[in-house]
Amino acid sequence: MSDRFQRDCFEILTRRAAAGEIDRRSFVKAAALLLSVPVAMRAKIAFAADQLVVANWGGDAIDAFQKAFGEPFTKATGIAVRIDGSGPTEGAIKAQITSGKIIWDVVDADANLGIAFGKEGVLEPLDYDVIDRAKIRKGYDYEFGTPGYFFSYVLAYDSAKFSDEAPKSPADFWNVEKFPGKRTMYKWMNGMLEAALLADGVKPEELYPLDIDRALAKIEALKPHIISFWGSGAESQQLLTEGEAAMGYIWNTRAILLGRDTGDQIKWGYEGGFLNSSTWITPKGNPAGRDNAMRFIASSQDAQSQVTLFDLLGNGPANPQADALIPDDKKALNCVSPEAEAKQVTLSAEWYADNYSAALEKFLALVSK
Amino acid sequence: MSANTNSTDKPGRVSAAIVYLTIVFLLMPLLAIVPVSFTGTRYLSMPKGNWSLRHYEALLTNPIWLDSIKLSLGIAVASAAISTVLAVMFGLGLWYVRNRFSTMLAALVFLPMVMPPVVSAIILYFFETSLIDVAPWIGFDSIGGVILAHVVVATPFALVTFMVSLSQIDKRIDMAARGLGASLWQSIFWIILPNARFGIISAAFFAFILSWEEISVTLFITSFNVVTLPRQMWNGMRDNVDPAIAAISVILISLTVIGILCRDLWRWQRARAVAKVA
Amino acid sequence: MTRSWMRYAILLAPLPLFLVASYVLPFLMVAKWSVTDPEPGFGQYIRIFTDPTVQAVLIRTLRICVIVTTVSVTLAYAIAYNWVFGPPQRQRLIEYCVLIPFWISVLIRAFGWLILLRNNGIINESLMGVGVIKEPLALVRNELGSIIGMTHFLIPFAVFPLASALRQVDPRVLQAASGLGAGRMRIFWTVTLPMTMPGVLGASIIVFVFALGFFITPAILSGGRSVMVAEFIYLQLFQTVNWGLAAAISVVLLVIVAALGALLHKVARLDKLVG
Repeated sequence: MSDRFQRDCFEILTRRAAAGEIDRRSFVKAAALLLSVPVAMRAKIAFAADQLVVANWGGDAIDAFQKAFGEPFTKATGIAVRIDGSGPTEGAIKAQITSGKIIWDVVDADANLGIAFGKEGVLEPLDYDVIDRAKIRKGYDYEFGTPGYFFSYVLAYDSAKFSDEAPKSPADFWNVEKFPGKRTMYKWMNGMLEAALLADGVKPEELYPLDIDRALAKIEALKPHIISFWGSGAESQQLLTEGEAAMGYIWNTRAILLGRDTGDQIKWGYEGGFLNSSTWITPKGNPAGRDNAMRFIASSQDAQSQVTLFDLLGNGPANPQADALIPDDKKALNCVSPEAEAKQVTLSAEWYADNYSAALEKFLALVSK
Repeated sequence: MSANTNSTDKPGRVSAAIVYLTIVFLLMPLLAIVPVSFTGTRYLSMPKGNWSLRHYEALLTNPIWLDSIKLSLGIAVASAAISTVLAVMFGLGLWYVRNRFSTMLAALVFLPMVMPPVVSAIILYFFETSLIDVAPWIGFDSIGGVILAHVVVATPFALVTFMVSLSQIDKRIDMAARGLGASLWQSIFWIILPNARFGIISAAFFAFILSWEEISVTLFITSFNVVTLPRQMWNGMRDNVDPAIAAISVILISLTVIGILCRDLWRWQRARAVAKVA
Repeated sequence: MTRSWMRYAILLAPLPLFLVASYVLPFLMVAKWSVTDPEPGFGQYIRIFTDPTVQAVLIRTLRICVIVTTVSVTLAYAIAYNWVFGPPQRQRLIEYCVLIPFWISVLIRAFGWLILLRNNGIINESLMGVGVIKEPLALVRNELGSIIGMTHFLIPFAVFPLASALRQVDPRVLQAASGLGAGRMRIFWTVTLPMTMPGVLGASIIVFVFALGFFITPAILSGGRSVMVAEFIYLQLFQTVNWGLAAAISVVLLVIVAALGALLHKVARLDKLVG
């Protein structure tokens, strides 16, 4: 075939694809036939994808994400949203990238992964023409990711065991004379080093970069009183409801459920808590294409969607405009409202991006001693 | 059964005591599992007065559970069948051919058994994702793919089980059969395999259970299309261990008990019928 | 001569071919990481020999697996023996009790034991109620919890190969021994046990290898305190993303098991298992 004819065929193909008339696989097949397979399919074509796959941590979050994010997106674009709840750990994402076959379009990942994987060049940069910066809280519009929601590590305690004074701060958590009883902490370390340092007298402004060894020494001192390091939400809940732990640092979403399930016997607050965010990331080469992924992320920013997620799971909204939409009786549960944020220390995604693996290894070695 | 009262093979009192204690040990978790299946809360707890059937209800009405049970059953049956055939063939081969080459093959075949499941999971993950374009029906997140992975994981165990029973068969039986004119295949199907009946059934049962229970590898080679029962149970674990899992175990145990009772009843009736005629 | 070679090849070929394609070749790729990640060389292997954490994990795993195997196979032997030679009532009881645990999913088993063994669990409450102990025993969220949970899981798996072997024992051999004047114990140790050695080996191999790969049960029952090799590899693959170390440990594990197999072969004539 002559060169010009090929190019013309290719242009027709591209225009038809841009009009959503053919899906990507057909496009690649046809383009290959024309012996002109484009190397970087980065043309601004939103192919008619048959589905968009979102990866999250499973459990209740599957239904919640579908209701809050999936349904509105499907209504607007006609693309079905499938939620894969297998838990996108750093290793799982890396495995997918290494295998060359990306299965996930949009991933609900830990905040530091957006930065870490972004540096490796395996993520699609966010398209801020589509994604609205106005709907993002200040400073959270990263190059390769932006929060899907916020959550916190809070000090929850069994109020039946502490009638006069209640433990409220990291210092209280470490004070075993005044507040006796077994404790539980997070196995995967986020927020725990910060709690140890604060208990040891470090000022919140001087936390980062974290003095890992100092924090580990402080935790080791408390270890005889730690009954278990919880690794899953279920475990953290169980330890407190069954009375095995008198207090613990757990997710605010769990704490909300605990308060409700135990008729408020388990109490908690945002004071002395640690704020963290999730991040939406898109691996390069995702099946539905970069543009559909960006459209999904933009769609998830909708204030009403965010409030739906808050209702279902208790996660704080990423969109500041959503704060106002939360009913008054629930406003206190919002971990990222200005009042709550002021009481907490925000975990630094940048520090975790550079240091998480190495620190976690030391932490786990201490835990398993 | 000989009425020999010498009873040199009958178990003594010590062994009986050990057995009864072990049985108590084996059944102990039921003390927790049965009550938990009747708990009124949505998370695992012993019912403190709030007994309820909600989890049994959930099992019967929620299509998620029923679908995953059916899927797991189908996959387990298919995996067990394929694993048993492969294990029996190879086991027989080893039994007949004993040289350095066959020993090396045996070492190869035991590799999936030796590796921790999480390593097998990664290996099979990379293998099956590479099959997505070439043979998607056995690739990542497909039923065929799950069966393939289960066969890889279960066959070595089925092989060991089968070989144990095969090793007890005197090779001279085979020589006698051949001497009488039987071909290799005739000897295998009419003489050897019937003698190893219990071993074959054990191997098949073993492979079935391994596939039914399999979670580590399954977790990595499926996404959202193929949700087996263990995967369904695992899905909620981060959030909440669903007491429905306890309910499933109670139902399965009840079915097993009923099954064994029926079989014993049938045997007893047959024995009575035989006795009547005699 | 060549014709019969082909027939044996039909028996021996399919399984290895299947596994080479689907498992062995991809495994080589994984093993390659052990010498290429994060940088080329044997650094990961050196780390295994020098890093106390890794050594602790390996030693702990081997120790637990040996304990679990010994206890499981011993108890399973008693059960299998009674299943094959015991009075009919006991045989039936054993059948129920061996088959029932199979249907308890590994997840719910682990949580079931947690509920039973924890400080305010049924066992401790009963013992304290009766007055046998004053403080709750630490039965779980430690190594003991893992051992209990793993043994519970593995006993039924060991029973089947042992029963298989015991069934093939000809009672007349035992009677002959008795006729020659041997007492019950002597018959067991010098006749029955050696005759069923392939079954014992088979059961031990199954249980030991299974125990090596255990992840869920110890993770839940040891409360993170007693990390075994399977969980450790998982952590390296997915949490700390240290793939080179994970691959290196897998290879070392393979070497250890191969060495144990060779030892077993020398000591107990492993090829008896293959007839």
